[in-house]
Amino acid sequence: MKKILVLMLTLVTALSLTACGGSKDSKETSGKASSEDSDIAYVKDKGTLVVGITDFEPMDYKDESGEWIGFDADMAKAFAESLGVKAEFVEIDWDNKIMELDGKTIDCVWNGMTLTDEVTSSMSCSNAYCNNAQIVIVPKDKADKYQDKDSLSDLTFAVEAGSAGEEQVKALDLNYTAVKAQADALMEVAAGTSDAAVIDSLMAAAMVGEGTSYADLTYTVGLNNEEYGVGFRKGSDLTEALNEFFSSSHKDGSMTTCAETYGVQAAVIEQ
Amino acid sequence: MEQILEQLPIVLKALNIGFLQTLKLFFVTLIGAFPLGLIIAFGSMSRFKPLSYFTKIIVWIIRGTPLMIQLLIIYYFPGLVLHNPVWGGGETGRFVAASVSFILNYACYFSEIYRGGIQGVPVGQEEAGLVLGMTKGQIFFKITLLQMIKRIVPPMSNEIITLVKDTSLARIIALQEIIWAGQAFMKGSQGISGAIWPLFFTAVYYLICNGILTVLLGQLEKKLDYFK
Repeated sequence: MKKILVLMLTLVTALSLTACGGSKDSKETSGKASSEDSDIAYVKDKGTLVVGITDFEPMDYKDESGEWIGFDADMAKAFAESLGVKAEFVEIDWDNKIMELDGKTIDCVWNGMTLTDEVTSSMSCSNAYCNNAQIVIVPKDKADKYQDKDSLSDLTFAVEAGSAGEEQVKALDLNYTAVKAQADALMEVAAGTSDAAVIDSLMAAAMVGEGTSYADLTYTVGLNNEEYGVGFRKGSDLTEALNEFFSSSHKDGSMTTCAETYGVQAAVIEQ
Repeated sequence: MEQILEQLPIVLKALNIGFLQTLKLFFVTLIGAFPLGLIIAFGSMSRFKPLSYFTKIIVWIIRGTPLMIQLLIIYYFPGLVLHNPVWGGGETGRFVAASVSFILNYACYFSEIYRGGIQGVPVGQEEAGLVLGMTKGQIFFKITLLQMIKRIVPPMSNEIITLVKDTSLARIIALQEIIWAGQAFMKGSQGISGAIWPLFFTAVYYLICNGILTVLLGQLEKKLDYFK
C-alpha cells in the first residue's frame, strides 16, 4: 500500500515538474520575442490592452450596467481603439501597481495617477494630462482654525501609503500615520483617530460634504499642485504612442468633449 | 439612517456578488485541500525517508510563512521572475491563483490534522486486523480511516471556520471578494461614495455563514458519536 503511494507521489511530482517546465519554455520564448521588441506588438498580438484601475470617480467607475466609464476609462477605450485592440479594465490593489505592470498582468496604469517620484522612477510615464491638488481634510467644526499651512503643525494626519499626500506631509515634517487607501484616511478623521487627512482634490469633491458619510468633514488648505499621467512598463513604446494620441485628440477636441462629460475639463492640460 | 436605507439595495447587491466569490473560493479550497492534505499526510508518514523529509520541508515552508505572502508570490512570481504571466490579469486568473495558494496552504494544515488522527488510532487495532488476516489496505480503509474521520472532526471544524474568514486575504491580489466589495463604497462606486457602513456590514455575512457551518459540523460530530 505504502509503496504504491510512494510511487504515485513520485510520479505526480515528476509529471507536474515536467509539465510546468514544458509550458514555461514555450510561452516564455514566444512572449519574450514580441515584448522585448515592442510593447505595441505584444498588445496587438494579444488583441487587448489591459488597463489597471481602481474604482475612482470621476476617472474610472462603473455605470448602472456595470460598464467602466469615466474620463480615464473613455480615453483608454479610445486609445485602445486607435491601436486596433480592445481595452480590458482590471481592478487592482493600488499598492501592487508596479508588480502588476512588471508581471504583465496589466499593460498600463491609467487611473488618475499622480506623477510622484515612486511612479516616475518605476514606470515609463506619459505626458501629464490632468491637474490635481493635495488638500487637507478636517472636521467642519475645526475648519476655521486650520486655514493655512502654518496652523497644521499640531495636528496628526492620516494619509494613503505611497500617495502624493504622504509626500506632502513628509515634506512639511508633519506628524502622520500611513493607511491603506485615501478612503481609509477619511475614516480615520471621521472616527477621530487622526485629526486630519490629505487626499486628492478631485476625490475630495466627490467624497466629502453633504450627502456622503463624511458630511461633518470639509477641506481647507491646498498643499501643492500636481499632475496626472499614465504609466507603462519601463522602456515601453506605448508611452510614445499615447503621447501622440493625446496631442491629436486634444487638437481635434475629442479630449475636451470627453472631459466635459465628467466635469473635469478645467483640470485638463493642453497637449 | 434614511440614507443607509436608500443605499441598502445597491450595497446588498454588490456584497452578494462579493460573497459569492468568497464562497466559491471557500468551496474550491475545501474540495482541493481535503484530498491533497491526505496525500501530504501519507508523504510525511512515509517510511521512505527522502519523501518524508521532502514533504516535511514543504509543510514547514507553507505553514511557516504568511498566506498573504504566498498569495503575492504565487500570483506575481511567474510574471515578474519568469516573464510568463501564466495567470493572466483577468478575474479568472486571479481566482485560479488564489485557489492554488489556498489549497496548498490549507492542505498542509489539514495534513497535520490527518496525521494526528491516523496516528491517534491505537496500534492494537492494526494488530487485531493483522491477526484476522486483513491486508494493509483493508486495515486502513476498514479500521483506521473511519476512526480517523471521527477524531478529526473538531480540529477540522476549527480550520474550516478559519478558512471562511481567511478568504478575505485574497483581496491582496485584487480578488473581489466581499470585503473588497464593501470597501469599494468608501472610495465611491455605483453612485455611493464615502459610505463606511458597508465594510462593517460584511461581518454579518461571515457571522451567518459561520453560524450555519457550526451547526452543520456539530451535527456531523454527533452523527459520528455512535462509536467511541
